[in-house]
Amino acid sequence: MTVTPASLVRATSSQKRRNRWRALRPWFFLAPLLLLNLVVIITPSLLSVRYAFTEWTGIGPARYIGLANFQEMLADPVFYRALWNNVRWTLIFLTVPVMMGLLGASLLSSIRRGQILFRTLYFIPYVIASVVNAYIWKLILNPVFGIGPWLAERGIPWLDIRFFARTDTSLYAVAFVDNWHFWGFLVVLYLAAMHAVDPELYEAARIEGANRWHEFWHVTLPGIRPTLVFTLLMIMIWSFLVFDYIYLLTGGGPAHSSEVLATLTYSTAFYSLRVGYATAIALTMTLFSAIFIGMFVLLRRLGWEI
Amino acid sequence: MRHKTQSLQSLSWLLVVVLMLAGCAAPTAPGAQPGAVSGDAVAKTKIVWWTEEVEPELQEAFQEQFVGAFNQAHPDIELEVIFQQNLNDVLRTAIQAGEGPDIVQTPGPGFLLEYQRAGLVLPLNEFAAQYGWKDKILPWAYASGTLGGTLYGLPLTFESMILLYNTRVFQDLGLTPPTNRAEFEATAAALQNAGLLVISYGNVGWQPTNEHLIGIYLNAFAGSDAVYEGLIGKRSWEDELFAGAIDLLTKDMTVNGYFAGSLENYYSFDWQTMFSTLASGKAGMMTIGTWGFRGAAEYFADNPNEWDWAMLPSFREGVPQGFDLAVGSTVSINAASKNPEAVAKVLDFLFNDPSRAARIAQIFSFGEFVVPIEFDAEDFPSDVDPRIARFLTEFADVTAEGRYGYTTWTFWPAEAETQLWKDIELVWAGEMSIAEYLAKHQSLWEKARAENAVPPIPER
Repeated sequence: MTVTPASLVRATSSQKRRNRWRALRPWFFLAPLLLLNLVVIITPSLLSVRYAFTEWTGIGPARYIGLANFQEMLADPVFYRALWNNVRWTLIFLTVPVMMGLLGASLLSSIRRGQILFRTLYFIPYVIASVVNAYIWKLILNPVFGIGPWLAERGIPWLDIRFFARTDTSLYAVAFVDNWHFWGFLVVLYLAAMHAVDPELYEAARIEGANRWHEFWHVTLPGIRPTLVFTLLMIMIWSFLVFDYIYLLTGGGPAHSSEVLATLTYSTAFYSLRVGYATAIALTMTLFSAIFIGMFVLLRRLGWEI
Repeated sequence: MRHKTQSLQSLSWLLVVVLMLAGCAAPTAPGAQPGAVSGDAVAKTKIVWWTEEVEPELQEAFQEQFVGAFNQAHPDIELEVIFQQNLNDVLRTAIQAGEGPDIVQTPGPGFLLEYQRAGLVLPLNEFAAQYGWKDKILPWAYASGTLGGTLYGLPLTFESMILLYNTRVFQDLGLTPPTNRAEFEATAAALQNAGLLVISYGNVGWQPTNEHLIGIYLNAFAGSDAVYEGLIGKRSWEDELFAGAIDLLTKDMTVNGYFAGSLENYYSFDWQTMFSTLASGKAGMMTIGTWGFRGAAEYFADNPNEWDWAMLPSFREGVPQGFDLAVGSTVSINAASKNPEAVAKVLDFLFNDPSRAARIAQIFSFGEFVVPIEFDAEDFPSDVDPRIARFLTEFADVTAEGRYGYTTWTFWPAEAETQLWKDIELVWAGEMSIAEYLAKHQSLWEKARAENAVPPIPER
């Protein structure tokens, strides 16, 4: 076979075309998904920014009112209460389930027999629909037929408390139910990350005289740091979007005691028919999520392995 | 092999293109398929109606007794009823986009007003004259769909607040349903002394339940004349009569423990707990809307004769007992409908035969699809519960005498209504004074009036 300059040029340009096609091919396959995202997520999101500056019932034309919605929001005590509840919710979920998840994963990692069983048991509440979980806990804590009155009739009155109905306990009660379904998910994530930590590091630590706590603090935690930081970031974002369990269990009440930004947005849009104002509230949720994502990006740029 | 890979690639591309084209296909406009329905020789006009999701057996009965009957009576029209979850949200999006069904079903006159202001529903005056709807429908209910002198919606379901009670408990304690405040307090004391709850009621699962109680107290204490004056702007909501009503409700809720025994219990009782408690005789009464007939039928299934209903008591001397008016849902014609004449025939089919209307309402245990027309005793099927038949005939008679009040979800503008049931919890928690609560309410009414967003108030 003779190689001529012309055939070489042809082969090179054909190779270039193939390379270009190879580079473009994934985009063609991604195109439908991107298009879908553009239509159902990006466009409505951008449009909603516009509605935050309008008075709109959700039906018919919107009326531009400038910054009035934001001014009203910043003067609304219910908004601040909802925002504060979101902050409390975030603090609860950054600590309680994370600690439970780390503890559960750490204990499970040393178990060889039956680990799968425990992982499955912990994970089950996570795969059950929130509406079902909420219903289960409503039944358990029912004021007439629940476990509290049942125990009270048998001389144990301390659980006969309306946890969802008291202004001082409602948010914690809902957080408890949400945590009940959520922490098993963290166990599975942390356990998978712990399995990836080099066993030789533990061996070296033990030779150096490390006890279980030292191993956890100096080997496990640094080893699972990317997973840990990622879950913390996701918890912060999810905590500002939380809606389902609160809506299902208390509706934000009583007296706004468990109100969060998402439930306030919902009732403002769908009960008060003030979609423009609700959008302004919703934008603050987006703002907080953007701040958390910005923090994540910044930490990566600073060289954190996350 | 290479050929096979290429074929596979080509197939993948074809699939992507087909999916994209399918996604971009234009949706069908309401009533836009007037062509021949498959298998039919006659060209039929198709009418689509989205309504609230109900249990499958109720859907089946409705399809058979209403849709089937309509389609049989109108060979040139095919009515299709689709039961939708979250109807209001889904419908609003579709209608806003110029799509959606031919029949627009809203949760009440306040929502109808929004559709009308946006020009999304058709005026019905011509059809009303053609079919004589004004003579068929109870006047107050007909007026609730009339905006600025033009009819835009017809009442699909009417409701009222009533007092359900456990007849066995009442018999055992020698009680009769209270008609005034003194009797109510005596009944409450007798029930509490017997270790029972006075009223089994709670707001779990539906926080706006609070407004049921607010409406009852406003009408029963301040009086429906005063409420009417508040609605038309002749009396401020900060008036001492309204403050007295809210004060009485707050005391009954937080001090007297009339509702579920305590405020905490009230915030913990759901539908199931409310009815189980009443049916098991652990409570004597329940203040609920007529949709509660469904619950009574279900939870008293083992002892069906142990419940009955009564008119709510008056809470102040000089205020007569009456029924509070409520329109639970309305129906209109979508402005984008291609066949308004055919849609009007469907609407008329809801009202033109009282015995059919009674049969349809019976499917839903008279909780839904109870059209506000004047029923006579002979209109009811032989197996209809006589207590419900009594309500329907008595309601028409009493309201015709002018003894009626107003429910918040029918006659209040949306934002003021929401403030009423949301902020009352702050009042009950002691975080907001009644004066602050009513002052905020008054300001929201002023805002609604300025924006022309007050639902129609039938002249008294």
